[in-house]
Amino acid sequence: MPVAPTNSLDVEVARPPQPWWSGLRSAGLDSAKSITGKSLVVGYLSLLILIPVAALVDNAFKGGLGSFWSQATSTEALDAIKLTVLCSFVAAMVNAIAGTATAYVLVRDRFIGRSALNAIIDLPFALPTVVAGITFYTLYGPHSPFHVNITGTWIGVTVAIMFVTLPFSVRSVEPVLESLTIDAEAAASTLGASSFYVFRTITLPAIMPALLTGTGLAFARALGEYGSVVFISNNIPYHSEIASSYVYSLVSSGQNAAAASVAMLLLVGALCVLIVSNVVARRLARRRG
Amino acid sequence: MKRPSILLRSLVIVYVGALLALPLGFVFQQALSHGWGQFWIALHDHAMDLAIILSLKVVVLAVPLNVLFGVGVSMWIVRHPSPLSRFIDVIIDIPLAISPIIVGLILELAYAQNGWFGSAFAAAGLRIMFSYPAIVLASVFVSLPLVSRQVIPLLREVGDHQEQTAATLGAKPSRIFFTITMRSIAWAAAYGVTLTLARVLGEYGAVLIVSGNIALITQTLTLNIGANFESFNAYQGFVGALLLALVSVIVLVFIGVARHRLERKRHVSFV
Repeated sequence: MPVAPTNSLDVEVARPPQPWWSGLRSAGLDSAKSITGKSLVVGYLSLLILIPVAALVDNAFKGGLGSFWSQATSTEALDAIKLTVLCSFVAAMVNAIAGTATAYVLVRDRFIGRSALNAIIDLPFALPTVVAGITFYTLYGPHSPFHVNITGTWIGVTVAIMFVTLPFSVRSVEPVLESLTIDAEAAASTLGASSFYVFRTITLPAIMPALLTGTGLAFARALGEYGSVVFISNNIPYHSEIASSYVYSLVSSGQNAAAASVAMLLLVGALCVLIVSNVVARRLARRRG
Repeated sequence: MKRPSILLRSLVIVYVGALLALPLGFVFQQALSHGWGQFWIALHDHAMDLAIILSLKVVVLAVPLNVLFGVGVSMWIVRHPSPLSRFIDVIIDIPLAISPIIVGLILELAYAQNGWFGSAFAAAGLRIMFSYPAIVLASVFVSLPLVSRQVIPLLREVGDHQEQTAATLGAKPSRIFFTITMRSIAWAAAYGVTLTLARVLGEYGAVLIVSGNIALITQTLTLNIGANFESFNAYQGFVGALLLALVSVIVLVFIGVARHRLERKRHVSFV
């Protein structure tokens, strides 16, 4: 079967002579095969994603727009959403700075243990969230070996979210820093600019689009985080309950419509964050040319 | 080029050490805090062993499903682009933006007894929610794009000239796929598979909802750890956590190797 020439292979290649029916038969077989494959993919994705998301929208708006809005913005829901947004924002900002510093050191510095540092950055992708959750509760809970108890506070929630989102910032900035030529930086520093001034005026503008995308990803992920946060937050309604854990409490008490409404709001919020950060990052990159 | 100052390096090491390395070390310290004898006994906890077996059963089905799907859909998106494939390209990234709790919720809304299709499946004698199929479904959902996100950029980069050449020389599609395409995407695919494995083995929120969290029956290892911790058996929880932490260390090492291999191909990829 000839592979469909999608990219331009400009040269027409002469084919060996074939019997007249071969093209006919292979064309028929080929399209039949590819149609089966495509319908399989579409069916699979429908069952897995499209139908469940449609069921969410249906359940959220079952009682009309009014009931959706009142369920999604009940006092308990609003308190949970406020806490989640606040902690996610603080964690994303802290990690935007710490992540940039980490990427900078990983790319520009050479020291013993650098590859270990590089490897452990991905730990939050590899370590199950529930393991992180119980560990943070034990480290910074009532029986903390450091005698600090931050369970049930916004600080505790923020620390857990910082753990989960660090690699997003580091890994999005790192490749850009690597591809950056250092001519401009070197020129500026021979002209007497301080290294912080060089970073602020030359390096930072170059990595800004990637940093923004990474921070957006981290923030969106943080909005829905559950396993690593649920233990340290203590889930006290109106006080330390995060949004995903409020949704969970609604689901487990059978209030599916309310759960769907809050979930709908969270989902739209996360998608908006992703879209806005991508659009702004693209604008920034284009302005730099 | 001026190197970053020692101060910056130290600050970064302290931050990453406190935030990431300390918790990892603490898991090992807690699990071994009662000595090896106790640890050995805790390893043979009946509920935990059943949970481990269930987790492995889920991995054995969910990971190959996602690899097949990920490679297949990447080939479609890159080699046969169409409006439909571009739509698919957007759709498969959705799971990364959805909270695991919401994943659990929407699967329940669609497939529980009182959900959209629950009664239809029940009539056919199939029970999806609160059983093995639901756990697999949730695991596949949360890790769906991990393979294709790695494979798609690499497929674009290597182009299809070699494949076309092989086709004009009369090679069969299967031979082209295994001798040319698969070889160029092998490390990217392996990287994606490793991320998928880690995600499937570690999923908590989505599985918590769809499995019903029934001890000895639908409890995966992560659920078992959470349940032990909540029922004031933190030590048993940390023993399970140690096993998962060990897996994650192996995953980290492999990710490091795979990324090194990929960077040598001038291909930069992350997340």
